[in-house]
Amino acid sequence: MNNRTWMSRSLAGTAVLMLGFTLAGCGGGGGDASSRPENELHLAVYGDASNKVEEAMVAKFNETSDVKIVLDTIPGADYQTKLQTIIDTESAPDIFFNWGGGSIANFVKADLLMPLDDFIEEDPQLKEAFLPSVFETAVIDDKSYGIPMRGTQPVMLFNNSDVLEQAGIDAPPATWDELLEAVEKLKAAGVTPIALGGADQWPTQMWFQYVFDRVAGEDLFQAALDGDTSVWDSEESREALGKLRELIDAGAFGTNFDSVKFTDGGSPTLLSSGRAGFELMGSWAYATHLDANPEFAENVLSYSEFPAIEGGEGDPANLAGNTNNFYSVHKDTRYPDEVAEFLKLMYSDEFVQEQIAIGNLPTTTNTEEFLDEASNPEYAKYQFDLVQDAPHFQLSWDQAYPPEATVTIHTAIAQFFSGQIDEDGFIQAMQGL
Amino acid sequence: MTTLATRRQATPGGSTPSRPARRGASSVGRPGFAWALPATIFFALFALVPLAAVAVLSFTSWSGLGDPEFVGLENWKTLIADPVMLKSLWLSLLFIVLGVITQTPLSILLGVWAAGNQRNRAVLSAIYFIPLLLSSAAISVLWRALLDPNFGIPGQLPWLFGDGNLLGTQAGAIGVLIFVGMWQFTPFHTLIYQGAAKNIPAVLYQAASIDGAGMVRQFFSITLPQLRNTAITSIILMVVGGLTTFETVLILTNGGPGTDTTITAFYMYQTAFQSFDFGVGSAIALVLVVVATLISLVVVKVSGYDKMNSSLEGL
Repeated sequence: MNNRTWMSRSLAGTAVLMLGFTLAGCGGGGGDASSRPENELHLAVYGDASNKVEEAMVAKFNETSDVKIVLDTIPGADYQTKLQTIIDTESAPDIFFNWGGGSIANFVKADLLMPLDDFIEEDPQLKEAFLPSVFETAVIDDKSYGIPMRGTQPVMLFNNSDVLEQAGIDAPPATWDELLEAVEKLKAAGVTPIALGGADQWPTQMWFQYVFDRVAGEDLFQAALDGDTSVWDSEESREALGKLRELIDAGAFGTNFDSVKFTDGGSPTLLSSGRAGFELMGSWAYATHLDANPEFAENVLSYSEFPAIEGGEGDPANLAGNTNNFYSVHKDTRYPDEVAEFLKLMYSDEFVQEQIAIGNLPTTTNTEEFLDEASNPEYAKYQFDLVQDAPHFQLSWDQAYPPEATVTIHTAIAQFFSGQIDEDGFIQAMQGL
Repeated sequence: MTTLATRRQATPGGSTPSRPARRGASSVGRPGFAWALPATIFFALFALVPLAAVAVLSFTSWSGLGDPEFVGLENWKTLIADPVMLKSLWLSLLFIVLGVITQTPLSILLGVWAAGNQRNRAVLSAIYFIPLLLSSAAISVLWRALLDPNFGIPGQLPWLFGDGNLLGTQAGAIGVLIFVGMWQFTPFHTLIYQGAAKNIPAVLYQAASIDGAGMVRQFFSITLPQLRNTAITSIILMVVGGLTTFETVLILTNGGPGTDTTITAFYMYQTAFQSFDFGVGSAIALVLVVVATLISLVVVKVSGYDKMNSSLEGL
């Protein structure tokens, strides 16, 4: 055991060292187009079940092109780390998967990415074929850096309709007061009002994203992201934190949410087994439930938008979550024309159909035509309308900020929920970003 | 005994053939530096060189993009002022102390028991060693699921666990980590103690029985003193293992609640590979190396292990 930990530490150390050498070796140079492989484009994507579509698109492109695309799938959990390690070396991919926003901000700052505005000028469809609220996520300093390439995943308030009915709640809450009322009724019925996978931390963050957006509007978070950290100490910020505290103190999440995870099935099972009434979760929750308990997913699981907050500045139609994933292009790519051709596939009918077939909801304007092909057309249409009608689609906080901020954000939101820090502690932590 | 016997047997063979034999032996040579070369090269390549590189990195600012930028003592100043760093060191020490306290008595008792000749001993010992065969990641995922507050053991025993918020409180989270560490590593230390206990000459026990010493008296007066050096080895392994505990923290608590189980090794990972601050991450790694070395030195000095006295006294 100790040998192994010692070994892995030495190996990690060596890895860091090797990186040092690699970087020193190509330091400054960064590699120009001619040093990159001939007739080859490398495409790096996050390795998971969605790779089927990426494989199909690459195969389709390679049929007609002399320059062949090589698909490199990188195991999911290590994706960002691996990308950050290779992006500034000669083995950097030409095109790569990312989450837009903060996930590419550092690369833009380091001048590693190609603005796609020239491509868009030649083929305006590369911008116009996509829903604007989604496309915006990969726009940095008024330049476009990403083309949406998977499905959108808005966060919604899921509920167990049986539990709600038994507790005497006729309709999902449309306002904050109705939510508080529902919490009381569910408590009286002896269930945890809202399931929360607090140990994963990002599910807790979803509550912050929505409450801050509803109370203060999207501008507060944008201002903070742009560097004006004083907004965290504003009246609106304190009001949003007060609302969250009100909900926590009402016992909405029970007492042991910090030991529950979404990722190991803990919190979704609370909802499906009827021991909780609601869960705020990304649209993938439907697939999670369908996988674990098809009968529940099809007959009992229901969903609604996050409630409006009276007197708040945010539009109640605003959304939060993962807007989409994007392809960005390395500025040193040897074959920009071929890259542009490949990116055009991302709004093709075939792409949209393939994505829908595996349960993703693409964000092209023509997606609507194909929604009947989805496994659950009603759910797909509901989501698509939400995204299409949303004046603003807030990218998850931990993805809007660069990756180095994630630990700080997650720790602060978890400590606020568990009561380890108060409003001032949270504000101080966020101002430290 | 055996060496004496061989020597005696060798003498009658005459002195003539012994000369070439001795020359042969001297040409093979006594263990010299060359013998240590392979190990030294590996150690240098995989331990010393990376250590030096980490030392250099600790004076730079590097996110993995571009070249490391020299920033002097900036990272070290950050680290000294960082409350999480200091807390993580205290937590690491706490983990080590609790680990040693919980694992040592248990593995001594199990090891001594497993060294005996009782019925079913072999079968039971084999069962006890199962945790040793599992990977840390598998063990952590397993216990994570078993300790789910709603659907795991705590959900079934509310009188013992209350609302089951084990991983949501500092005491609970530390307790879980110590317990899982104990479950995982006790078999390994039991194995060490078993080997050592088997090595204790039976004559000592026989003599003690004649003198009228009972089981308990024999355990404290013979077994424990004879296991002294083994205990030191085992404790040093526990200390180093405790300092570098990582997977269980990552999977079971992710350093939480808040930063309440962020021990130094985990903090190093978080800083370097999640926050992409390789400079500060390297500085934390160096602190860890220094602390581990200091603790090992103290244990070795205090215990007299460096003098390498045999514990098989009287023989």
